[in-house]
Amino acid sequence: MISIEARLARMALRGDQEAFAEIVGLYQEKLYHMAYRMLSNRQEAEDVVQDTFLRVYNNLDRYDETMKFSTWIYRIATNLCIDRLRKRKPSYSLDAESSDHEGLDGYSMIPSDDRTPESETLLSETQRIIHQAMDTLPAKYKSVMVLRYLQELSLQEIGDVLGMPVTTVKTRVHRGREFLRKKLERVL
Amino acid sequence: MECKVAILWMHEYLDDDLPRDDVIQLKEHLLSCPECRMRFEQLKRTEAFAQAAITERITIPVAASAGRSAVSSASLTNRIMQKLPQQRRKQGWMRFVRNHPAVTVAAVFVFVMMTSFLAMWGQSSELIVSGSDLQHVVIDGDTVIVPAGVQVNGDLTVENGRADIRGEVQGNLTVIDGSLQLASTAKIVGENREINQALDWLWFKVTKTVSGLAY
Repeated sequence: MISIEARLARMALRGDQEAFAEIVGLYQEKLYHMAYRMLSNRQEAEDVVQDTFLRVYNNLDRYDETMKFSTWIYRIATNLCIDRLRKRKPSYSLDAESSDHEGLDGYSMIPSDDRTPESETLLSETQRIIHQAMDTLPAKYKSVMVLRYLQELSLQEIGDVLGMPVTTVKTRVHRGREFLRKKLERVL
Repeated sequence: MECKVAILWMHEYLDDDLPRDDVIQLKEHLLSCPECRMRFEQLKRTEAFAQAAITERITIPVAASAGRSAVSSASLTNRIMQKLPQQRRKQGWMRFVRNHPAVTVAAVFVFVMMTSFLAMWGQSSELIVSGSDLQHVVIDGDTVIVPAGVQVNGDLTVENGRADIRGEVQGNLTVIDGSLQLASTAKIVGENREINQALDWLWFKVTKTVSGLAY
């Protein structure tokens, strides 16, 4: 029994464009979301998503069906993101400032419904600080944290995606969490 | 319990990886240690805030108006599909080449040899007469005549023409892509061959080259 993605990949390999469009449909939003959280830039996130699918398309014949398709596609996308983060390192903090938080919704953050104007400004302020803190995370922690908080992958799968043992993933999650805690200390 | 261990367990707990018994122990420690309790609260809130900040839905932008995600994601799909290289079928034989390099090289070699060989064979349609003693040979149109009573010393080769032998040839007589007519007075000391097939012709060329090398 092979996965839906593997079957679609086979069909796409035989020249079925529709099948490949299905794969794109299944993953584009997840990948865009991940890339956006990594890069904090819409245009770059979209570029990464496009490059990822281009690579997937060109290397469909090399897809190993024993591996989960999601692991494979996330690996390609995270590598592209990490490459970009490394390349722009010098102007990094400047870039991070310009990240857009439009469409930001404080509602999504509060589990309870007792909102006051004060708590909303506080929340958006917190959120801004969180995004800023995330942007200052070094790339190796950032990839782990983003993949983990997106909750699409288990820790084991994150290890597979990034090519590292689960223990390393855990260590990085712990350090990343402490890093964020320190950054957020004054608003917590 | 040491606070160092407690902190490690807090993280394990937030990873959903702390066994039940340890959870109870951790709770006991938190009750007795206000410092760790505060740290745990901070970590829990960090986790919640970061989680919320990252999972907060974002829409994939269309050109102008960001908004309905179904529309914009469909347009992203289109953009992606348009960027794909066309006709992946074309790569089928390239894959074959990549997987069977030896076969490909052999096929190319055979192809080149065949074309050069065929080119050589079909090259000339002109009459060519060669031999060591052509003094008395008469050429009339496409016919090469060795008149009666004449003696040709050595070999005689006629290509793309007719040979009409009435006299004497001391060596071999070879006719390529032509016809041979022997009169009753003709006398050929050496071998007498007619060649019309490509393979015969090749054999002739090869033996000639080899015997040429031998002398």
